[in-house]
Amino acid sequence: MEGVLVLAIGACVWAGVAVTAWLARARPRPAVPVRTTVVPAAAPVPAGATAAVPAGVAAAAGAAVPAAAARRTAGFRLAGVITGLAAGGTAAASGLLGRGLLLAGPVFGWFVLAGVVAGEISVRPVAGRTRRAVVEVRRVRDYLPRGLATAVAAATAALAALVTVTTVTAGPDDLGRAGRVLLLSCGPDSWQVTGPWPGSFYSVPLAVIVAAGLITAGSALRAVIRRARTGADPDAMAADDALRRRAARTITGACGILVALPLAGSCLVSAGALLSLSCRPAWWTYAGWALLALLIPVVALIGWCAGVLLAPARAAAVAPSAG
Amino acid sequence: MTARPSLTVDTSDPTPPYEQLRRQLAELIQAAALSPGDRLPPLRQLAADLGLAVGTVARAYRELESAGLVSSRRGGGTRVSATAPSLPDSERQRLLHDHAKAFVRQAALLGADEQQILTAISQAMATCSPAS
Repeated sequence: MEGVLVLAIGACVWAGVAVTAWLARARPRPAVPVRTTVVPAAAPVPAGATAAVPAGVAAAAGAAVPAAAARRTAGFRLAGVITGLAAGGTAAASGLLGRGLLLAGPVFGWFVLAGVVAGEISVRPVAGRTRRAVVEVRRVRDYLPRGLATAVAAATAALAALVTVTTVTAGPDDLGRAGRVLLLSCGPDSWQVTGPWPGSFYSVPLAVIVAAGLITAGSALRAVIRRARTGADPDAMAADDALRRRAARTITGACGILVALPLAGSCLVSAGALLSLSCRPAWWTYAGWALLALLIPVVALIGWCAGVLLAPARAAAVAPSAG
Repeated sequence: MTARPSLTVDTSDPTPPYEQLRRQLAELIQAAALSPGDRLPPLRQLAADLGLAVGTVARAYRELESAGLVSSRRGGGTRVSATAPSLPDSERQRLLHDHAKAFVRQAALLGADEQQILTAISQAMATCSPAS
């Protein structure tokens, strides 16, 4: 219940942040008389004609935009990480019978994603009388970090498979709460019970919040791809592409945390439960150790994703022309 | 590396933005800067990049589709038609001369001499992509 409350409060906060970001984007810029018409430098400008901004000046003005956009998106991203840590910590400390702890990772990831979306919404579209756009099709796969995305996809598949199996095999505990323990028949009249076990008691809220997080990640990636370019000259486009790549890395990292933390928890709890039953079949022992072995790459993935989320962006890669 | 073609919209131009887009895209297709099968930018992406309404870009695409220059498919985006007509070399040469004459006329009105005109062309060639 507390977890739902934290999510609801967080959603309200981020809805406010998103509206603020949108309003910041919608605020009109000071009018700059930019024209891209080519006029020879030595040519006299007829009296009464609009003064043409030299190409160099226009390019310099265009190159300054990615730096501002980089700062704004980084600010929202950091806000997402900080509120995510707070919300994840709150979720971990609340919740019934360890359910909050299981949901802490997804809650953190969801807030980081919300920060990325708010940052992307805040990037202002091209203004001025003359606008230029390159004929190109931007695709998500052009910006995703391949290695990290593959690892996160594998972790998602592993989590889905593990949670499906544990949900199917779970039973009710002594108070009748469905899907909370593992029951094993050791003989005609002998049963062993161990828990907690990631059955439906844990997996249903986990599946809901992970699915919501993955849908949010999809929306965030679409926002990254579809937001306006911050300039059409090659330098501005390179800086803008770096900015999008950084956002896509953050989204992938947040997805990694969203999936890998509950996967690590599920592996640990499942392995502990499997190995704690004395009358277990031999293959349960192998399965338990396999789950413990799986923890190593999963923890490595958590470290990788944390590094992606918390490491500062390389300024040179984001805005080479920023002053 | 070939520079990617670009589109420019001047909101102070009396020509409606959708017509400016339609004309430029038609020229790119006819000049073979966009080949048959090439995908045009998604509506929302191009509208965001140019700071225009999605409906404005959609109208330009519809006009191009009516002219048989592009074809839209649900889920497949808008692509240059395989049957899109391209300009013959003679027509290409004629257009090049027409544009050159128009530029020289405009430069002369501004008081530029031959050297200044040639310098301006060199500078423009250094800064502009061929298809922009």
